[in-house]
Amino acid sequence: MERAPASDKSRLASRLAWIGAAAWLLAVAGGFAILWKYKSTPGSGGAVPPQRWPAGSTVARSPDRATLLLFAHPRCTCTRASLAELARILARFHDRLDARVLFWTPREAPAGWDRGDLWTSAARIPGVTVLRDAEGAEASRFGVATSGGVVLYDARGRLLFHGGITAARGHEGDSFGQERIALLLTTGAADRADAPVFGCALEQEPPVRVARAGAPTTIQGEQR
Amino acid sequence: MSVARKALEMTQAAAEAIVQRAEGRYEAHRQEIFRATDRMFAGLMIGQWIFAIFIALTFSPYGWQGKVKTVHMHVWVALILGAVITSLPVALAWLRPGELLTRHAIAAGQMLWSALLIHLTGGRIETHFHVFGSLAFLAFYRDWPVLITGTVVIATEHLIRGIVWPESVYGIPNPEWWRFLEHAFWVVFCISILIPSCRRGLKDMRVMAERGAELEALSENQWRNSSVVERAAADPRGDR
Repeated sequence: MERAPASDKSRLASRLAWIGAAAWLLAVAGGFAILWKYKSTPGSGGAVPPQRWPAGSTVARSPDRATLLLFAHPRCTCTRASLAELARILARFHDRLDARVLFWTPREAPAGWDRGDLWTSAARIPGVTVLRDAEGAEASRFGVATSGGVVLYDARGRLLFHGGITAARGHEGDSFGQERIALLLTTGAADRADAPVFGCALEQEPPVRVARAGAPTTIQGEQR
Repeated sequence: MSVARKALEMTQAAAEAIVQRAEGRYEAHRQEIFRATDRMFAGLMIGQWIFAIFIALTFSPYGWQGKVKTVHMHVWVALILGAVITSLPVALAWLRPGELLTRHAIAAGQMLWSALLIHLTGGRIETHFHVFGSLAFLAFYRDWPVLITGTVVIATEHLIRGIVWPESVYGIPNPEWWRFLEHAFWVVFCISILIPSCRRGLKDMRVMAERGAELEALSENQWRNSSVVERAAADPRGDR
C-alpha cells in the first residue's frame, strides 16, 4: 500500500525529466537559430565601387599585378576571420597580388586607438601593407561600408571583385568571396564579381545612405 | 540416485547463486561507472561554460558600429545559451545520477558544447577537435548508445545548418550531396573504434564480476568448512 504512491511519484519525476529534456532541446535549438541568424546576416553592402581605380585615391596601386584592398575596423573582432582568410589568399596568390589593409580611424580617436591586435595581425601577413584610413575617406571612395570588405583591381586598374571573404560573421572557412577571387586571378572569370560582407559597420551612418543621397562615390558601371 | 540428484540440484543452486551474485556485482560496477562519469561531465559542463564566457570576453567583448561599441553577441550567447546547454545535464547528473536519460542528455549537451565553442572561436579548424575529444570522453560510460546519441546530435546540427545556411558549413551555397558524408566520415570513423572498445570493456567487466562472485562463494564455503572442522576439533569425544 505504501509502495504505490512512491512508484507514482517516481513515474511522475521520470515524466517530468523527459518533458524537461524536450523543453531543453527546444530552448537550445532556439538559441542556435538566433546565433545562426546573427552570424549569417551580412553588413551593409555599401555603394558599388568605382569600375576604375579612383584617381583621387591616396593608396598606391600596383602597376604590374592585381591590387587588393581590405577595409577594416580596428576593433571589430569579426574582422579577425577576414584577416585569416586574407592570409590564406595571399599564401596562394602571393605572386599575383599586392594587398593593403586600411584601418578606419575616426578623427578624434586617441593615439594608438587603431593599433590593436588586428593591426599587428595584418602587419604580420607577408605581402600586406597596413595603412590608416582617416575618417574612412578611402572606404567611402571605394564604396565599402562594412569591416572586412574587399575590393580587387587588376594591373590596369579595372574592378574585378568587391565584397567579403568570409562565409559568415567572424567565421573562418571557405566562402563565395574567396572562391571568386581565386577564379578571377586564375581564369579571369567568375560567376559573380561580388559577395556579401560580414562584419561591423565602419561608420554609424553607412556610406550607402550617403551614396543614395547622391554622393559621388557611387559609380554605376558594368559588372564583369 | 536421489543422493546424486540432490548433489546435482545443490550444484545447480550454487551455480545460480554465483550467476546472480555476478550479475549484481556487474550492475553495481556499471552504476558506479555511470555515476562517476555523470559527475565528471557535470564538472566538465560547468568548466566549459566558464571557458566559453572567458573566450567571448577575451576575443570578442564588443561589437562596433563606427565609434559606438555594444556588448558582442558572443558574450550573450556564451552566458545565456551556455547556461541553457549546461543546465539540464548538470541538473540530471545532480538529481538523477546513473540513469539512462542523464547520460544521453549529457551526450547531447557535450556535442552542443562542441558546436557552440566552434561558433565562439570563429569556426577555427582547431576547435573542431573538441568533437573528437568529447566522443572519447563519452566512451568513459562504456555504453555505446551514448556515442550514437552524441553523433546524431552533432550530425543533426551540421545537417540543419548545411540545409539552412550551407555556406557556413561547406563555404559554398550548393554543395554536392556527398559533402555531408565527407564531414560525417571522421566522426563515424572515431565511433567505429570506440563502440567495439566499449563492448570489450563491458565484457571485461562481466568477466571480473564472475570471477569476483566465484571467489566470494569459494571464500564463504571455506569459512563454513573451516568452522565445521573447528567445531569437530573443539569436541574431543567426537559426539555432537
